[in-house]
Amino acid sequence: MGGSLSVLGAGLAFGLGAIGPGIGVGFVAGKAIEGMARQPEMANKIQTTMFIGMALAEAIALLGFVLAFVLQAAK
Amino acid sequence: MENLGPAVTKLLEELNPFAVLGKGAAPGVELAKNAVVLTNYSFFLIVAVALTAIFFLIASRRMTLVPKGIGNIGEWGVEFVRNNIVLDVMGSEGVKYLPFIVTVFFAVLFNDFLGLIPGMKPGTGTLGTTFAWGIMVFVVYNWVGIKKHGLWKYLKSFLPAGTPLVLAPFIYLLEVISHVLRPFTLGVRLYANMYAGHIVLGIFGIFVVMAAAALGPVTAVVAGLSLAMQIVMYAFEVFVAFIQAYVFAILTAVYMNGAIHAGEH
Repeated sequence: MGGSLSVLGAGLAFGLGAIGPGIGVGFVAGKAIEGMARQPEMANKIQTTMFIGMALAEAIALLGFVLAFVLQAAK
Repeated sequence: MENLGPAVTKLLEELNPFAVLGKGAAPGVELAKNAVVLTNYSFFLIVAVALTAIFFLIASRRMTLVPKGIGNIGEWGVEFVRNNIVLDVMGSEGVKYLPFIVTVFFAVLFNDFLGLIPGMKPGTGTLGTTFAWGIMVFVVYNWVGIKKHGLWKYLKSFLPAGTPLVLAPFIYLLEVISHVLRPFTLGVRLYANMYAGHIVLGIFGIFVVMAAAALGPVTAVVAGLSLAMQIVMYAFEVFVAFIQAYVFAILTAVYMNGAIHAGEH
């Protein structure tokens, strides 16, 4: 095992950083499905907004992803 | 399973963004300083962009009221972007910017799909490409906003109306940071999805080959399960390729809409 602590940190940065956005994306999808089930005629609008909301939640996970690369490069 | 490590290293070398076309993985290849070469990814990027251009040139060659063949597919694609992205997000005034968003959508889509063909790579699988596209979107939507409102009014519109004077510098700084982060998140999202997807497919491929090569009753089951999983993941990657193109285009439309309606919220 030739890894160093920065590699461990990189893994943790992404892993821990993905918890929150994962929960957030799940909430967005779940609530969108609720809305679509209640008002099927609005499904198209809800879907568009859902993807935007997902993308914004996902952006936070991406910051962790970038940080993982930075930490790995900094070893 | 003792040679799993080298196999994974080989997979990562295969996906190395600096691997030069036709010369294999990067470590053995010595490059002159500032040499201009095609990498694996940039080659397939050019192929995919050329395919996009050729597809739409053929599709728009004979434009009739009721299109046939490739023209029909092209029109269906453009209408999909118009109805589901531009009209939904920007309304009828966004139709003016439809050509740009259609181009972005199909360039990303063709790149993603080309990478799914075994032996080929997605042009969008490197951070360089996707980040450049994010910057392009950033420049275009800001240009649209400046053209519509004028530079001074556009810059002023970052500050919501009625902000207390004490908070104004902080809120302005936050708004500017959120704008500057946009090209980063656009680029990294697309790159991460493509790159990670290909690593997952590669890992399951390694499992299949290694478990099948071990020739045992247990490993045969493992190989079968891995193969089934790889097929499922392949279908999922096709879905992801489409969704990422959709998200990239829809965020472009959202940012443009924000620039057009700057200062109205």
